[in-house]
Amino acid sequence: MAMVESQSVIYRKLAAHVFLWFFLALIIFPLLMVIAISFRTGNFAVGDIIPSNPTLDHWRLALGMSIIDESGRTIPPPFPVLLWLWNSVKVAVISAILIVALSTTCAYAFARLRFSGRSLLLKAMLIFQMFPAVLALVAYYALFSRITEYFPPLGLNTHPGLIFAYLGGIALHVWTIKGYFETIDKSLEESAMLDGASPWQAFRLILLPLSVPILAVVFILAFITAITEYPVASILLQDEAKLTLAVGSQYYLNPQEYKWGDFAAAAVMSGLPITLVFLLAQRWLVGGLTAGGVKG
Amino acid sequence: MADVKIDHLVKNYNPGVARDVLRDINLDIKEGEFVVFVGPSGCGKSTLLRAIAGLDDITSGDLYIGGKRMNDVPPVNRGVGMVFQSYALYPHMTVRENLAFGLKIKKIDKAIAKERVAQASAMLGLDSFLERKPKALSGGQRQRVAIGRALVQHPDVFLLDEPLSNLDAALRVKTRIELARMHQERGSTTIYVTHDQVEAMTLANKIVVLSPLTDDGAASNLEQFGPPLDLYHAPANRFVAGFIGSPKMNFLDGMIEEAGEQRTRIKLDTGISLTASVDSSRGRAGDKVEVGIRPEHTVMLDDPRADNRVTGTVQVAEHLGAETFVYLEVGGKDFTVKVRPETPAAPQSQFDIGVPADACYLFDAKGQAFPRTARFSRT
Ligand SMILES: Nc1ncnc2c1ncn2[C@@H]1O[C@H](COP(=O)(O)OP(=O)(O)OP(=O)(O)O)[C@@H](O)[C@H]1O
Ligand SMILES: [Mg+2]
Repeated sequence: MAMVESQSVIYRKLAAHVFLWFFLALIIFPLLMVIAISFRTGNFAVGDIIPSNPTLDHWRLALGMSIIDESGRTIPPPFPVLLWLWNSVKVAVISAILIVALSTTCAYAFARLRFSGRSLLLKAMLIFQMFPAVLALVAYYALFSRITEYFPPLGLNTHPGLIFAYLGGIALHVWTIKGYFETIDKSLEESAMLDGASPWQAFRLILLPLSVPILAVVFILAFITAITEYPVASILLQDEAKLTLAVGSQYYLNPQEYKWGDFAAAAVMSGLPITLVFLLAQRWLVGGLTAGGVKG
Repeated sequence: MADVKIDHLVKNYNPGVARDVLRDINLDIKEGEFVVFVGPSGCGKSTLLRAIAGLDDITSGDLYIGGKRMNDVPPVNRGVGMVFQSYALYPHMTVRENLAFGLKIKKIDKAIAKERVAQASAMLGLDSFLERKPKALSGGQRQRVAIGRALVQHPDVFLLDEPLSNLDAALRVKTRIELARMHQERGSTTIYVTHDQVEAMTLANKIVVLSPLTDDGAASNLEQFGPPLDLYHAPANRFVAGFIGSPKMNFLDGMIEEAGEQRTRIKLDTGISLTASVDSSRGRAGDKVEVGIRPEHTVMLDDPRADNRVTGTVQVAEHLGAETFVYLEVGGKDFTVKVRPETPAAPQSQFDIGVPADACYLFDAKGQAFPRTARFSRT
């Protein structure tokens, strides 16, 4: 049964709804534009939102199929878009998994273990993270070219190298997970240890299962960050076949010719894995996992 | 089964910065004993329990369980089971999984583990909840799961930290009786922390009274260790006397008028004289003392045992049906007496009460008790 509401509350609700719809439109409109561009004949950024004579040409090219233009010539797909997408997904999934693993163990140490320099280290991590990666691009390049000399599989122009670079950005995640761990009563792990669990078992069998929601959040964030990341990937990757979609799709936009339509199709495609991951991860985003463990 | 010996134990969470939480604790807990820790909030009861379990390390001193020095032995190898003040059930596991967790970790044979879980669940009445998660249980049921989880480990020493504190009155009594029965059946050494006087007096073979340490340089904060009735009748000092018993003991200031081995005459600050069955031979006339009188040890004036008379002004009277408590003011101090039900006591009126000499406790200026030469009981 709904609660009885006064007139003013109803007006305020209405106002909130109007505001939310407006806000939603603001967010969705650019997306609709990109989708519209990807179906518009020719490579034009401006035009009707519902294309007047829609075409699948841009999508064909993006999906690696040749098209036949007005003059009857066969145009092969200029870039391996599907390969780029695969590269993106590969890099993003692996780096997200590794980031979750690293930041969880790191956060456990910060939340539960006592060691000297703990708070200093925590703050320092966050401060270093505030330094924008773009400003460190030169350093990234120098570092990885040096690594290439000694251990090429992890050096420039490799996916492992790129993933390695992404692993540097875990400070924020460590803070997030640490905050969550600290809301979980320590007596649960102490109890497990009395039951005979090693610290590792207490972590894996008690703390981790209770932290699934925050791990899912961190996974999604890390995945999105990796799949949309441009600056570092554009510096570290060089071969066309190794590019990620975020980097590769920029090839459509060179000053001689802005291929907006092809670019839009590729851009929409790069959004697909994110949506997919989100839908998959949603089932883990549940609350109340720790309910009933300790008395309030 | 094992005995627990604590030898000159000191605990300080932050040596050199913070003050000690526990100082020079010496306890000899025999196999199969039920020992209760009591003391005001913050006096270190949980800390001592955690030190025994190995969840907190000991700053100095030694801890022996079953004759083995345990200072550096991890919790799991101490043979202790602990019920946390907060229950600490694993929220993502069912009751059955909670109970079986430790057995699984220790790789105990599956058939034996199953048997033990079944036994504990039957004993604690958990059979119908085994497949539920803790959040679907009531406080009392969670409580029993917590006890069961420690029980299935077959611990030598059973540690319980205020396990009944969140239960309602009826369930508390029920669980208290269950615990007593369980102890009789299994006979494992049990250490139990509580704030509740009744729990302490009814469950304990022996009670440990701890006091919070202040900066006064006390040698130890272990005030007394002994059987409940010894603590009640022969408290070692004013702290224990004031802590054991409910309502609290009344204290009146005075000085020794005439010391003696069997009887002592005391002149109270209010001017009246009082005879107490106390051996004050170590004191002298003129020494400042405090007289302690339990509310339940006062008698009506017409009682033949009313050796002394105390007069006060009535503040409040509480009629509880079975008994009546009258709160008096005597010489500026609160003085509670327990009297026959429905005794009239109008606020602000004068109220006379009899105090048997055998009912008096006497403490010197340092708070140490003089030996009593008699034990009083009202009936
Ligand atoms: N981890 C800790 N670090 C520093 N001081 C602590 C820590 N745990 C407890 N203390 C201090 O030690 C003292 C004793 O705490 P403890 O929890 O043992 O008290 P307690 O007797 O169990 O109290 P209560 O009856 O309220 O549960 C308190 O003054 C507390 O502030
Ligand atoms: Mg406590």
